[in-house]
Amino acid sequence: MRAMPRISLREALREAVADGYGDLVTRRTGQAVREVIEHTLANLSREQPAAIDFGTVGCLDLSCADEIVGRLLRDHGTARDFVLLNVSPSHRESIEFVLERHQLAVAMRDAEGTTDVVGSVSEPARRVFQFLAAGGASSTADIAAGLQLAPEAAQAALDELHRRRLVRAARAAATTAA
Amino acid sequence: MTRVVEVPAHFDDRSFDQFAREYAASDSDRLLFDAHATQWASPYGLVGLLAAGQAHTETRGERALLALPTDRDVAHYWARAGFLRYAPEYFELHGKAPRVAAASESDVLLEVTPVRGADDVHGVVERIQERAAAILSRELGLEAQATMGFAMALSEACQNIVEHAGTGGWVAVQTYNWRRTLKRRVVVIAVADAGVGFRRSLEPTQAKRFGDRWSDASALEAALIQGVSRFRDPGRGQGLAGIRRYLARWSGKLSVRSGTARIAIVPSWDDDVPLAEGLPDFPGSQVLMIIPSQQP
Repeated sequence: MRAMPRISLREALREAVADGYGDLVTRRTGQAVREVIEHTLANLSREQPAAIDFGTVGCLDLSCADEIVGRLLRDHGTARDFVLLNVSPSHRESIEFVLERHQLAVAMRDAEGTTDVVGSVSEPARRVFQFLAAGGASSTADIAAGLQLAPEAAQAALDELHRRRLVRAARAAATTAA
Repeated sequence: MTRVVEVPAHFDDRSFDQFAREYAASDSDRLLFDAHATQWASPYGLVGLLAAGQAHTETRGERALLALPTDRDVAHYWARAGFLRYAPEYFELHGKAPRVAAASESDVLLEVTPVRGADDVHGVVERIQERAAAILSRELGLEAQATMGFAMALSEACQNIVEHAGTGGWVAVQTYNWRRTLKRRVVVIAVADAGVGFRRSLEPTQAKRFGDRWSDASALEAALIQGVSRFRDPGRGQGLAGIRRYLARWSGKLSVRSGTARIAIVPSWDDDVPLAEGLPDFPGSQVLMIIPSQQP
């Protein structure tokens, strides 16, 4: 299996704005970084999820979170799977706030290796995401048995994850090294 | 003719309306801001005074006069807080302006700093993280994650100037003992500009929806409670909502004054009103955030 293409936000920030910045703040910076990401994505295959790496990024404000995650998912999230890597608790707060407003969700992995889905998903879908990330099989029967859900509920949760392109992303997030 | 605007002896958010009343009554006269008897000024008072000077200078094309505090300690504090570095742009200073070196360890977490563009916001966020983390943790009992949230809230408040004011503004951050109701240590963020204010910024997209009810107060409610923005992009208008959520977690207070109104998210320890209308008109917007130390 080919390695998931990884886009470093620190590198994107350096390319987009200035060498000295370590924080993702302001709408203007977010727009510039998103344009760098989009330029990189244009040259990447859609067969693999794209990983956005937050490692070594300091503060992430809501304006940047909206541009870099919210706007990226709105514009590209129906055609490509995304995984966010090395997300700190404070990054997560900003991302969650933005995604809940847009009714979007994305797979993430923090620096300690914990995989989760952040944003707007139903509780059964969140549980199924965790099941898949932990290596569980993706058949409705296995999910229903593994999580003690009714088959209809397991299917509905799985459908929700498919609709949001979170099935492959769950596995990719769980198996990616920090 | 020169008209005197008295700076209150205790100049903070509570006495600001008294200051704004004298300012609003000044018509087109040249102003003398008289702070000779001022005994204390909060970051909100200092950035508000700069905004008044800026508005006066931009309107009249000449600087106002400013009589500095005669109390040596007060004048020193104004210098230490960074006010006197920028005051000469908008005021002809009268009185002794002390020269003070910036202290590395100080209750002034961020001196009065101009905010004119995105680069200034980057600078503010970087400086506050360098200087505030240890103090916020040690003196206010905030965890590390809260410090990053603090930088986020500060960034969003400053961006309101960059995105909406149509002119530059000011920010200052300080810790001090809140004697009024809380009797605890607090950190205070004050952001002020002399720009167009919320009503004029939102008017093209929101005024029709409100009809006769459109005012400074309804513009503030639309921005703070409903999260509307002058931009049609659905991702806009999140900044103040994000600040609200952050402050609610730490029992903090948020107050936004613009034009003739002030709206506040009032925690249980404060006795401010949620919405004040019919205040003396004052240019631009003034944002106040207060985070109290967390009880063990």
